[in-house]
Amino acid sequence: MEWTELALELALMPLVAFVVGMAMVLMMRKIAAKLQRRIGPPLLQPLYDIVKLHSKETQVSHGLIHEIGIVMAIGGYVAAETLLPVPGMNGIAAQGGLIALLYMTMIPSLGLALGVGQCANPNGSIGISRALTAMLAYDVPLVIVIFGVAYHYGTINLVDMIATQQAGGPATWGAAQMPLLAIAGLFAMQGMLGKHPFEIYVAPAEIATGPMVEMGGKFLGGLFVMQCFQLYTAAVLYVTLFLGGGENWATFLVKSFAVLAIPVTLAMLFPRYRTEDVVRLMWKWPVMVGLLGLAFIVR
Amino acid sequence: MTSLDLLFLVSGLTLGAALVFGRLRLTAPLLVVLYGLQFAALIETGTLFGEPVAISFGITVLDQPMHWRYDALSWFFAMITIGAGFFSAWYAAGVWKDAYAKGGQSPWLFHVALAANVFAMVVLLGSGDFLSLFLGWELVSWASFLLMALGGAASGRAALRYLTYAFSGAMAILGAMALLYTQAGSLEYTQVLAAVPKLSTAQISVLIALFGSGFAVKMGLLPFHLWQAAAYAETPGPGSAFLGAISARMGLYGIIVVIVGMVGVARLIDMAIPFTFMSARDLIAWIAALTVILPTYTALQQHDARYLLAWHGIGQGGYMLLGLVVGNAIGSAGGLLHVFNYAITQAALLMAVFAVMHRTGTTDLNKLGGLVTRMPLTFLVLLFGIISLAGLPPMAGFVSKWMVYRSLITEGMPLLFVAAIVGTLGTILSVYKLIHNIFLGQLRLEHVEVREAPLSMLIPMLGLSTLIFLAGFMPGPALSWVAEVQRLVGLPVVQYSLGGVVDARGGLDMILLVSVLMAGFGVGAVVFYGFGGKSRQVHQLDNYAGGHFLTADVRYQYSDNFYAGLMHLIGPWYRGAFLWLEGSVGAVVDLLSYAMHWVYRSIQPLLFLLATTVAMLVWAAV
Amino acid sequence: MTAIMKPPLLGKTLPVVEGTKRTNPLANVFDELINFARSRSLFMLHYCTGCGAVELPPAMTSRFDMERLGIQPMVSPRQADILLVTGYVSVKTLKRVILTYEQMGSPKYVVGICSCTVNGGMYWQSYATAKKLNDYMPVDIYIAGCMPRPEAVIAGLRDMIANIKDGKGTVWKDYYRRYDHYLGNQQRLFGEDWQTPTDVIGEARHYDLFGPDTLGAHTALLEQHRRPLEALEMKIEIPELERPHRS
Repeated sequence: MEWTELALELALMPLVAFVVGMAMVLMMRKIAAKLQRRIGPPLLQPLYDIVKLHSKETQVSHGLIHEIGIVMAIGGYVAAETLLPVPGMNGIAAQGGLIALLYMTMIPSLGLALGVGQCANPNGSIGISRALTAMLAYDVPLVIVIFGVAYHYGTINLVDMIATQQAGGPATWGAAQMPLLAIAGLFAMQGMLGKHPFEIYVAPAEIATGPMVEMGGKFLGGLFVMQCFQLYTAAVLYVTLFLGGGENWATFLVKSFAVLAIPVTLAMLFPRYRTEDVVRLMWKWPVMVGLLGLAFIVR
Repeated sequence: MTSLDLLFLVSGLTLGAALVFGRLRLTAPLLVVLYGLQFAALIETGTLFGEPVAISFGITVLDQPMHWRYDALSWFFAMITIGAGFFSAWYAAGVWKDAYAKGGQSPWLFHVALAANVFAMVVLLGSGDFLSLFLGWELVSWASFLLMALGGAASGRAALRYLTYAFSGAMAILGAMALLYTQAGSLEYTQVLAAVPKLSTAQISVLIALFGSGFAVKMGLLPFHLWQAAAYAETPGPGSAFLGAISARMGLYGIIVVIVGMVGVARLIDMAIPFTFMSARDLIAWIAALTVILPTYTALQQHDARYLLAWHGIGQGGYMLLGLVVGNAIGSAGGLLHVFNYAITQAALLMAVFAVMHRTGTTDLNKLGGLVTRMPLTFLVLLFGIISLAGLPPMAGFVSKWMVYRSLITEGMPLLFVAAIVGTLGTILSVYKLIHNIFLGQLRLEHVEVREAPLSMLIPMLGLSTLIFLAGFMPGPALSWVAEVQRLVGLPVVQYSLGGVVDARGGLDMILLVSVLMAGFGVGAVVFYGFGGKSRQVHQLDNYAGGHFLTADVRYQYSDNFYAGLMHLIGPWYRGAFLWLEGSVGAVVDLLSYAMHWVYRSIQPLLFLLATTVAMLVWAAV
Repeated sequence: MTAIMKPPLLGKTLPVVEGTKRTNPLANVFDELINFARSRSLFMLHYCTGCGAVELPPAMTSRFDMERLGIQPMVSPRQADILLVTGYVSVKTLKRVILTYEQMGSPKYVVGICSCTVNGGMYWQSYATAKKLNDYMPVDIYIAGCMPRPEAVIAGLRDMIANIKDGKGTVWKDYYRRYDHYLGNQQRLFGEDWQTPTDVIGEARHYDLFGPDTLGAHTALLEQHRRPLEALEMKIEIPELERPHRS
């Protein structure tokens, strides 16, 4: 591949991810509003929020690490998006594949955790402790799913997985071949998004939004940007693994939004679990379903 | 005189210099230079890419020749050993040594112990037959005992515990050697190698069990891991960094020589364990996986930074063995590469923690906090170290762990894969606690005047951090060493490039990955600093506390029982089963020794009398 | 004490002078876009001090739905733009309200809901209640009533949105320009040793809002007993690399 072409892809992929991610945030808020019989935010609300937060006159910083943490949170996702193939663009998805992507998405969490730590606010630290515990909880079913998928396709390269699924049509999609893993994956995704019923680490009324407690202005704005990327990554990863990726942009976007609508809708219907119950639940049902799914993997 | 003679000579000279001139002020820098010379002498042997080099003299004991030679495997381990010695000696050479002396300890003894350790390991790694292996093994055991016992009461207890374990391990190795000698008629590697394929499965199993448990003691594999954490944590600073980095890997060296090199992974796979679905390879892999998980989650419960890291050291050993016994090209390369990556990581981490201890006088995670504004460079070192230890990009640890995961996927080992990742997740949790409780959060009043670590300690720390990053950015050179080792011990050889692993079904190019990550950070910085307003730093007391007015005398650092929610669930799972096992074995041994005591003191004279009478009667009758 | 008791400028609003310096360089170019975004995205911190708080849930939920105006509740003062004070403010509460206000990020807007915030309302005779909220912090709008219905709340917020869009939501600057005045009122109520952990004067300098009335008799009093509040600068002090101090 030409260097210029690669560079263009590397620049475009995060940008696309950000724009689609903002639409996803809007969809999430719209779904919440519709379920509560409200009108909900206007079309460009996510953009207004981000612009406003970055343009606040006061930007309260608790030190260099607080700032670096946000830079890492955005930067880690920007890099991770280039590992996630979209129609017509593969970026550097062949390098490191699924495992590298999984670990790349942990960089933002690490950055956020460092930044929150520097704030010296116990609410934030409690939030991070809960968030990391939740990560430990949902990552177990997630890695089972990732193992199963990688073993099924015989590769960890996402581009190859998409090619296999698109060559064989919907009958060879991951969801058709590995329905149990697809269910476990959906479960893990719910945890990954940190929405209800797994949002104990935010817990606005108890620990004052946990990690976000000392984040104002562009710090919070950075986290809003990160949320766009986070929704996008989760949805697109699921589409790539189980729904055959995108043949073109239209099907790609339809699939991604449809997939994301499931956890987002479920989130609005539930209260939340306590930390240890999150772990217990995640280590029980999705893990059992996932392990059962592994037993039926055909290579 | 061969180049290996020179290496042994320089290594011995270092020990001698420490012994004779150890009390002089100038010795410490001199020793650093001597470790550097050892490194140069090792490079000079050229055994990594070239032919093995033997020592020019040999000793014969009971008709058994003892000789030493270096090959790629020895080179790889010796390189890490001498490197760790070099950095530790540098760390110890300046202010640390003065503070150590001020604390009533003897720097001379420390220098001698460190030099003795390096020398013993260099000798062990050169062993050319089982006799020299055993000699080296004992040397290493005693040398580490010396280093461990330096620190006072707690460290003395830990060292004694280590010695008990080391003795039992050595006995197991001795037993295995006796078995080999009866079968092969020799203790030469070459003759043993020829004899091993002819051994029956039962004999091989006994051999693996004996050698394996002997080496596992040093390596800290389950269930022989209990001695290690306290012993390494209580050792004085640079000694702890040295031991943590490499000492336990001598066990892995033994396992590679005997179990991987002589028996071979293929043979292990063929050996089915009766009444189970498992092969011997699976069993070892599971021991490795449990060694990853259990000590890692024990580390999660520690509230002393040194102990936390020492427990992680045990856990990381599991990854090395796991990768190795998976046995394919990427897996075994990952396991071997992790020895190097882990060594630089752990040394840097322990040095950073001991730098904090040097400045604040404590490593208790509940008594620190907020030091990032006071010791930013130490923070940076610890940050690089924890990213690497947790196996996240872009640091070195990611590459080797990635390779282990990759191989487990290729081989279709789902449960081991999950176990490996569960270990990594536990590591992430506990290293965040480490960095949070030391460097982030509230700065205590008594630490406001704390300053950055002294230069003599910072330079080796920063040097190691640079290595950690470079080994992650460009794993190619380290992989080339690993590939040579693989070729030597008969493992499939990994395909590598400068940036990582070449594999048609999903490789790894760290140069690209890290560049993209750095570019991502650049974009993040542009968004954050370019689009956002200028930030204004506030005092740590200007903080949201539900409308409460914070004052400096109120401690609000969230540190103790950091993962309270998780511990609600998994807390009761810590039952101390291994401690119980250790206690029971100890009690049984106690009982046996009482019985023997009784036999010798009360029964023995009677028995003698009886035997003599019987013998005389027999003689009379005949 | 006489110095402190100097009557503050009750009821008299000073002309608000535009600060020229912006902390965000892009704000000079995209001023209108930023004002528009600010008006359409308001995070609200509701300090539910009194009975007015019960009128907020209907304003937020399905009946009136504030989110369609871009207003949503937030939790900590760092995140918020609007401080809603919804009822009477006792002296003890006022301390917290002031701390919360000072911790919020500018531009920040204060909305006083209910008669109690306007003039003490039915607590006019109470010895423990602050009567007028704008004695202690600049208030953008008052929504009078006992209690105002959600329609009134939303109507008030719409007025504020219109103000912000037109670039008139700059009342917060008054707090920095005339800090001495507000601090004086606070000291009158809380005593001489009143201090929040925030550094308002430093912030006034940061925003280029440091005016002739920022400092005065009351801030002088504050300086006398103030505990140090310098941020913990990250400093690399390697002892060996420092020049030896010779005295």
